[in-house]
Amino acid sequence: MPQRDDIKKVLVIGSGPIVIGQACEFDYSGAQACKVLKECGVDVVLVNSNPATIMTDPGLAARTYVEPVTAEFVEKVIERERPDALLPTLGGQTGLNCAVELAESGVLERFGVEMIGCDLAAIQRGEDRKLFNECMEELGIETARAGYAYSVEDALRIVEGIGYPVVIRPSFTLGGAGGGIAHDEAELVRIVSQGVSLSPAGEVLVEESIEGWKEFEMEVMRDAAGNGIIVCSIENLDPMGVHTGDSITVAPAQTLTDLEYQRMRAASLAVLEKIGVETGGSNVQFAVNPEDGRMVIIEMNPRVSRSSALASKATGFPIAKAAAKLALGYTLPEIQNDITKATPACFEPSIDYCVVKVPRFAFEKFQGADDTLSTRMKAVGEVMAIGRTFEEALGKALRSMEDGRAGFGGDAKASSEAAASEEELACGVSRPTPARIHFLAEALRRGQSVEGLHASTGIDPFFLGRMKDIVEVERALSGMRLDELDAEAFRICKRIGLSDAQIAHLTGSDEATVRTCRKMCHVVPAVKTVDTCAAEFASFTEYHYKTYDADETEATSSERPRVMILGAGPNRIGQGIEFDYCCVHASYALHDAGYETIMVNCNPETVSTDYDTSDKLYFEPLTFEDVMDIVEVEKPEGVIVTLGGQTPLKLARVLADAGVPIMGTSPEAIDLAEDRDRFSAILDELGIAYPPSGMASTLSEARIVADRIGFPLLVRPSYVLGGRGMGIVYDAAQLEKYMAEAAKVSPDHPIYLDRFLEGAVEVDLDALCDGEDVYVGAILEHIEMAGIHSGDSACCTPPFSLSESVQATLRSIARELALRLGVVGLINIQFAIKDQVIYIIEANPRASRTVPFASKATGVPLAKLAARIMAGEKLAEMGLPPDDRRLDHFSVKEAVMPFGRFPGADTVLGPEMKSTGEVMGIARNFPCAFAKTQLAIDYELPKGGTVFVSVCDHDKRAFTSIARDFARLGFSLVATEGTASALRAVGIDCNVVKKIHEGSPNVTDLIASGEVVLLVNTPFGNATRDDGYEIRTEAVRRGITQVTNLAGAQALTAGMEAARANGLDVVALQDLPQWEREEAPHGA
Amino acid sequence: MSEAAARLLANTSKGIQGRALLALEDGTVFAGRSCGASGEVTGEVCFNTSLVGYLEVLTDPSYAGQIICMTYPQIGNYGVAEDDVQRRRVHARGLVVRDMCAAPSSWRSDLSLPEFLARENIVCIEGVDTRALVRHIREHGAMTGVLSTEDADAASLVAKAQAAPRLEGQNLVQSVSDAEGVRTVPPAGHGFAQAPAAAASRHVVAYDCGVKDSILENLVRAGCCVTCVPWDAPAEEVLALQPDGVFLSNGPGDPDAVAATQAEAQKLIGRVPLFGICLGHQMLGLAAGARAEKLKYGHRGGNHPVQNLITGRVEITAQNHGFGILFESLGSLIPEESGGFAHHEADLRAWAERSVAPVVRNARFGRIQLTHVNLNDGTLEGIRFVDVPAFSVQYHPEASPGPADAHYLFSAFMRLMAGEADPLAIDSAQERLAGWRFGGEAHASA
Repeated sequence: MPQRDDIKKVLVIGSGPIVIGQACEFDYSGAQACKVLKECGVDVVLVNSNPATIMTDPGLAARTYVEPVTAEFVEKVIERERPDALLPTLGGQTGLNCAVELAESGVLERFGVEMIGCDLAAIQRGEDRKLFNECMEELGIETARAGYAYSVEDALRIVEGIGYPVVIRPSFTLGGAGGGIAHDEAELVRIVSQGVSLSPAGEVLVEESIEGWKEFEMEVMRDAAGNGIIVCSIENLDPMGVHTGDSITVAPAQTLTDLEYQRMRAASLAVLEKIGVETGGSNVQFAVNPEDGRMVIIEMNPRVSRSSALASKATGFPIAKAAAKLALGYTLPEIQNDITKATPACFEPSIDYCVVKVPRFAFEKFQGADDTLSTRMKAVGEVMAIGRTFEEALGKALRSMEDGRAGFGGDAKASSEAAASEEELACGVSRPTPARIHFLAEALRRGQSVEGLHASTGIDPFFLGRMKDIVEVERALSGMRLDELDAEAFRICKRIGLSDAQIAHLTGSDEATVRTCRKMCHVVPAVKTVDTCAAEFASFTEYHYKTYDADETEATSSERPRVMILGAGPNRIGQGIEFDYCCVHASYALHDAGYETIMVNCNPETVSTDYDTSDKLYFEPLTFEDVMDIVEVEKPEGVIVTLGGQTPLKLARVLADAGVPIMGTSPEAIDLAEDRDRFSAILDELGIAYPPSGMASTLSEARIVADRIGFPLLVRPSYVLGGRGMGIVYDAAQLEKYMAEAAKVSPDHPIYLDRFLEGAVEVDLDALCDGEDVYVGAILEHIEMAGIHSGDSACCTPPFSLSESVQATLRSIARELALRLGVVGLINIQFAIKDQVIYIIEANPRASRTVPFASKATGVPLAKLAARIMAGEKLAEMGLPPDDRRLDHFSVKEAVMPFGRFPGADTVLGPEMKSTGEVMGIARNFPCAFAKTQLAIDYELPKGGTVFVSVCDHDKRAFTSIARDFARLGFSLVATEGTASALRAVGIDCNVVKKIHEGSPNVTDLIASGEVVLLVNTPFGNATRDDGYEIRTEAVRRGITQVTNLAGAQALTAGMEAARANGLDVVALQDLPQWEREEAPHGA
Repeated sequence: MSEAAARLLANTSKGIQGRALLALEDGTVFAGRSCGASGEVTGEVCFNTSLVGYLEVLTDPSYAGQIICMTYPQIGNYGVAEDDVQRRRVHARGLVVRDMCAAPSSWRSDLSLPEFLARENIVCIEGVDTRALVRHIREHGAMTGVLSTEDADAASLVAKAQAAPRLEGQNLVQSVSDAEGVRTVPPAGHGFAQAPAAAASRHVVAYDCGVKDSILENLVRAGCCVTCVPWDAPAEEVLALQPDGVFLSNGPGDPDAVAATQAEAQKLIGRVPLFGICLGHQMLGLAAGARAEKLKYGHRGGNHPVQNLITGRVEITAQNHGFGILFESLGSLIPEESGGFAHHEADLRAWAERSVAPVVRNARFGRIQLTHVNLNDGTLEGIRFVDVPAFSVQYHPEASPGPADAHYLFSAFMRLMAGEADPLAIDSAQERLAGWRFGGEAHASA
């Protein structure tokens, strides 16, 4: 069937901000789909509130709405744009839920919008457990025995029938939020009550536990003609009980015989047909009993998913691209295989390598949260690695993690497991945590058997056996000297996945020497290609990985000069999609400038690792060894290290020392900005103010520094990045406490103490510098005061409260500093303004987190321009609009917090970054733009009800005007005694509620009653284990909006007021004057 | 292996291994380590792209005379379940893998693959850059190779490869036709996944040219009682058994060398309903006067898309053949039954694009229709005799290993024997779950 001619305009709904369980894989799939729809001549109308996405680049869609992904806003877009159809399957669970709401409320019908790909009934059959189970029963496919509960009593009744342990799954939540395994009644009561409250339907499934069974996923595609294919099978290394998103997974399935695999395949296709997925991709998950092969279906998602992104990267088959075409009416045999360009997409990829995905966690950011992995996803990112064997891929994946490990087993960090007692080790092995994989290595090192470890972990003996072989090779290697290794021995080590750093560690050598010796033995990696067909057909796509098969390398040469762009590695808190966005833009810009672009990255969720983003893609770890290997094969003119965040930046020096040409800002200039002393000297030289600071290794040293510069102080360890372990101390007692608790403070690892500029306005500035000229892209005024990590702070551009003259001063400081540092490319500067003095907090001569937001707000593509500058172009030739022009729309960026995923973790914002993503709101004034960001995160602004208030003494005075606003907006106020009396004193009505220790009914009871719609709680100091902590975590559990600082509260009331007065209108980027001059983007 | 290498591997599941070499007739040599039986074997080197099913591949008699390279790099992961063996012994001459798993894991496994290979006396080499080997064959075509654990001299092995007889013209079928008198019972060990056999309602005589057990099992499950006869059984003797239908099996090698089966098939066409798979399909084609050609490097794997031109559906199929028959050699097109087209197309995908199942006038048996086309390369995958009851496919509906999309062809054979006019017009999705067992059937309402 050819393309339908009745579909001219399609609405695509994105997935909104990056949250746990829904990351940039939906930008990858959405961007693919937008491109394809455009190629097919269809006008795309896009709604997505996430500014750091490629899909929201104007040019990818005909109409781009950076607006909240809610039925209310999408309805406004539909009303204005009148699309013919809605494609609901590409925006994750958020997009799907929004589409369902629009369908159920009759909006789609009213405006004559057809849902394509998957209709409402099919979505419901796929998502609603009851309907799903009925469908499976009709097919004869087993599901786990289970029942539905709407209360704890229901759940107890069900358990009587099936016995403990049971798995609890709330209906319609993201990434299984609110689920868990209950082994006894106490656990059941806790998880069910939480699940019922989290589920939009107030419903949980209670089912027989198949914990410990093998878990598989099948990625399936289907067309309207009824043709179905399996794109990829995935086997989880962690058995049932750990969420797939939190499991180490392997593609293809490793331990199924053909008979079992084909049965699962037939079932997967039948499930899609039964559920009624008309076209597109879905994933189907199965559990298999390792004792007898009994196969139980777990669930299916009638949409593209995190796994389909992984499957696309693992096989080279672009699932989202195909899904978009299929939705327009094409059939699978009509679509060409992108990679071979000769065979149809209607086939099942055959791969001749093994793929391992390892999730990346951030528990260190959330003190108090349990790091046991369960059915509720907690990972914030993932890496993927490709090797010719499971062993090689596992080793590559583990050294891609950016957690200091050099691979599986023996490395410099393994000493922490080696120090574990037998008991600690047994616990480390049996309890699924991010560290379990390393405890397994230690257990094998200590001689534990594969059978024993299988019994205690449920991990299949196949995987354990492979790990045992790695450990055996390491053990043998640790008794040898480097000079004993010949070519054959080196090859064995490399083929089993050991990094040079591991070989160095085990043989008592160093990485550089290992590399030299290895190359002297001519043991160098070969380049192989991901081609969907195991080399059966010629392929034309440069999607590569390295391996130690020696007979042939598939690297190609070209006439064009080459540029290599180092990506950002796994998403984690502090380093997310924003950096990938910059890398992708650089690749587009340099391709257009005539370069052959080579992307190196290991994050399967991203657009950068789409094989058609760059001219060449190397799916490889971002370590010195791996990057050097690729440099030696590709011999690029230059390597870009300043766009992918910390990961590539920290390779800059070693790469430069190895003779690799670094493009843009020199490693020397990077050091200049990062070295505190040298940087201070430059600021002194330029006459720029900065907060007084000092350094201390002991408490007495710290006291001396404190005396000199005065409290309050911002304190942080010197050896961490991203604000880890940072705190603000207000007096000597707190300083003492901090010094006592700060781990690993020593002369080698001192702490830094900076004067904390309390109450200062913080400002971010992103600028371009070509060595001669500086262009300020945007000045971003933070909403929260200094002291909250810039990544967690909301910000607004153009600034809403800074005078023209302050802005001019900021621009001139940026100009002087960028030129003095010798920046060639991007620089981000953070300022604090207090009492009319402008201080520099820090400067980073690299792309910052705010570059995508700033670019979207101003229409100036900073990352693209930076790449062109690094390639030698000058700002003067670029025809940029003046950097002091006035914009007539305000753009607000707000951070999105993952606290709902970490029960027990405190929600107070501070100098340590905790957010996973961001949203953008655009409007004619600041309050409306801010209100949009709140709607984009919480999906609803409270319209009335009770606001609970508890502010620290130091905020009491400033809070009174905000309290008046709340009262005026029709909210009633409730506060604990101290706050209440302060409010009453100025004549504001306020009810008193007891503190927790004052007995009940107290504040938590009030929150539990559901009366409270908003919580304003500003804590004092870093003492988190007080009432405030209890209150805030209870509010997280109940999903109540909370504000933990006054500036945020003020912005919120202003936003609510503005939204009520004028309503919030939608605006397409294409209608903003700053985007009128945007050139056609790459690939479109 | 070197002393350092031996020290590294000594305590792994691989242990210390001897060297092995694979030499091709064009002088290309791959070095690796021995992980099966010791010895030296010669054969045509071919590759199979199935991700799973190495045991079914190894024991498929159609691989007689060949050395198989599996493209998936880690082989042996789930060991050997003897129930999955396709014939009593291994027919492939040798095996080439990137990495052999000596410590398998599966509840179904009876022994490891290296143990099985040693027991069956099959030479196997691991550590080979199999992707390089595959690309070499893809570019230069199928060629003879020698796999040896004994002769460490590459030049001598190349010379042996050059001197070895080529596959073309050899009748390998006679060496593997040994199923006469075998009574097919689906293995009890498959009961967890496969439905029990339907009551036998048809008697089928199967020409055994090296038949796979799974084909016989599928015939039994579809409701056939099967009698196997040797590859060259005279037609009159077969007809004397009063079968409801005759099946022509798969088998190894060059179809032109299997003259007796062709000749007997020619006598049977029109006298009894016929169904052919793979070599059996080639036998029917040759019996109708078609020409066979050797493919550059064959189709071997489990992911080839084949379009059924009658229903329009695409099946993902299991394939294993190095030769094929040419549609144009079956006769000239009948335009009025071929959508008005009068000229043959070298690339049969043209018919898929036109949604036409063209019909030719065959000099011997009336009209023959093109029913199945390979969408990867436009080669012939299936034909139906319009005026006599017979159809055949080049690929493997029994899969084993591979996807079961084409299982419906066994139902089609039942329909053919029942005299139905359009036996191939079955929606494969409707038969998707036929023959499988999932454990929840007791509750199934349908």
